[in-house]
Amino acid sequence: MRTSSINKSKYGFYFVLPYFIAFLIFGLVPIIFSLYLSFTKWDGFSDPVFVGLDNYARLLKDTFFFKAIGNTLIIWILSIVPQLVLALALAMILNEKFIRGKHFFRAVFYFPNIVTPVTLGVLFSLMFDWQTGSVNKFLMGIGLIDDPVNWFNSPWLSRFIVAGVIMWQYFGFNMLVFIAGLQSISEELYEAARVDGASKWDIATKITLPLLRPVLLFTFITSVIGGLQLFDAPLMLGNGPDNSTLTMVMYLFQTAFQRFDYSYGAAIAYAIFIIILFFSLITMKFSKMNKVEQ
Amino acid sequence: MKKWISVLLASVLVVALFAGCSNSESANASNDKKGDSNKVEGKLTIWTFFGQVEDMAKEFEKKYPDAEVEVKIFPGDQYQTKLLNVLQTGRDVPDIFDLERAYIDKFINSKYAANLSDMGAEALLKDYVPYVQALGRDSKGDVRAVSDHSSPGGFWYIKENAKKYLGTDNPDEISAMVDSWDKIIELGKKVNKDSNGKVHLISHYGDVYNVEAYHEKPWVKDGKLTIANSWKKNYEIQKEIFNNDVDAKLEFFSAGWGNAINDGSVVLNAMPAWAGFMVDNKDNSANDKYGLAKTPKGFYMGGTYRSIYEKSENKELAYKFIEFITSEEWQQHNLETTGNMPGLLSVYEKNLETFKTPMFGEQNILKPYYESVKEIPGMKSDKYGEEVLSKWRKVAGQGIKDNADIDEVIKDFKKEVQNSFPELKVD
Repeated sequence: MRTSSINKSKYGFYFVLPYFIAFLIFGLVPIIFSLYLSFTKWDGFSDPVFVGLDNYARLLKDTFFFKAIGNTLIIWILSIVPQLVLALALAMILNEKFIRGKHFFRAVFYFPNIVTPVTLGVLFSLMFDWQTGSVNKFLMGIGLIDDPVNWFNSPWLSRFIVAGVIMWQYFGFNMLVFIAGLQSISEELYEAARVDGASKWDIATKITLPLLRPVLLFTFITSVIGGLQLFDAPLMLGNGPDNSTLTMVMYLFQTAFQRFDYSYGAAIAYAIFIIILFFSLITMKFSKMNKVEQ
Repeated sequence: MKKWISVLLASVLVVALFAGCSNSESANASNDKKGDSNKVEGKLTIWTFFGQVEDMAKEFEKKYPDAEVEVKIFPGDQYQTKLLNVLQTGRDVPDIFDLERAYIDKFINSKYAANLSDMGAEALLKDYVPYVQALGRDSKGDVRAVSDHSSPGGFWYIKENAKKYLGTDNPDEISAMVDSWDKIIELGKKVNKDSNGKVHLISHYGDVYNVEAYHEKPWVKDGKLTIANSWKKNYEIQKEIFNNDVDAKLEFFSAGWGNAINDGSVVLNAMPAWAGFMVDNKDNSANDKYGLAKTPKGFYMGGTYRSIYEKSENKELAYKFIEFITSEEWQQHNLETTGNMPGLLSVYEKNLETFKTPMFGEQNILKPYYESVKEIPGMKSDKYGEEVLSKWRKVAGQGIKDNADIDEVIKDFKKEVQNSFPELKVD
């Protein structure tokens, strides 16, 4: 009754089967159904009517959607750059051997990541409320400004605040990833550098950073998808003046679930899918290039 | 043997996965016992976003001891998505579902809401506040939803504050002082000057929308967007209010807005009757503190409506419930226990001279509200009304802050409307 080694692998299928069944029902079917919806007109109350490519044609002329793409990219860049710089700087500092309380600080910097984005959104909107917010009170208290700044009345300030929320939430997480990366760099290299008389700055730029590149790329790639799906925190802060903080997914949400234009919402969802796919392919290409170099 | 175990394990996992999706339809379906026709019995399910419906159900059960009402409350703004989902699938649909004024039109113009006119609802609404009964009608004019209350608004003021800045705390005198926007602007400038810019007459220029919005003609007529000239006039009024600091620039339900009602930094707060919970009444400190004056025109804000599901198996019992909430009996009880204003004019009239609440001391607050609700024209809700209004609020609100020209505002507004509703004619 001995079964061959090839047959044995069949058992594995039984174990992955539940996942695939669940994915089929809760993942694939909705994905395909929303593709079908994007070719119809449906408000959720009557039956869907097939309209062909109408929704996509409408999308191509939709200035609000293009604005939302622009906003998302701007907010993403505004948040990712300082986020990675800060995370990297803190990781390098906290990776020093003789820093006191580094475990404490690692934990503290990670805290914002545990808070839900919705809470952060509400928190920041209260802090930056131009009449009652603590930020204006503080700035006026130390005499930096005379009149309260109406933060959410300026497109750029609003975007900075949204980017700030995202940055604040994720720098701790990226810092931990960087620390892990730093710890994987062999101590021998540092010792050799020190013996050769390299300064701290030389060590950082010539050894640490080049060896950290794969980790940097990893955080960059993971933040692309997350950044382009930006939704909950900006939703709490609102559309901003002249829709300046309206992100792609917010626009999808408002169209499909607030105005119940499900069919057009589905078309927007597919457009977002293509955009994210595009950016993911670019980053994947980068990471492949990186491997070749190594 | 081993194989059997793994197959068994896999199937247990699958079954466990779907256990959460089991249906509980049995709880809902066909609980309607068909007894003799006069007896009110059976079980009713109501979906709502509003906690006070529980009291409504309790009172109904008290009146009809053989009936049972199950109230499921879904607070938060995901309620309508949940409701729409259950209506689409047609499973576990409640017999009665609540609708908020902001989105009522979509639901009552759908195939899911039963025609209450056919069931006799016209008779129930004969003596109703005109605007309240009109909002529950579909595009053909049939009643598909009813409300048990009206939600008029007025200017709430702290009496001491009014004496200081307006020279009187008499509601009639104050009502006369602010019966037009021009008067409000002049008075607002004075309050601003007298208080060195610390106190403002009204909380936000948006009060103008809140008061004027439901006196306007519908935004969309025959598939075409129409912007009434009065909106342009209102825009200029709002700009003047904003630029002269007549308002405290506290947006509705913003952080500072709630404080202003309590600390007196705003003299006249335009509030709906149901907003008593915004007042800080710790240790009854708000007793006899407030007065109520009329706004330049009558206005209302919000409203909870109730529809019967078209395919409900308990339609008769559900209609009994509708009958109950539109009755004097319930609305009198509701007024006394919660202070929610009635939908029946007769309940207003009966309590006009007698109804008092601790917060407003000796003032008969039903009087100004009664005059307000009668002033508001009865208009059917349509698919575009609230959405287009909110776009106007957004675009015009921004325009006021930027001191933009009205033509610019209208251009942006049209763009927004056209984008959301490509089927509309916008020129």
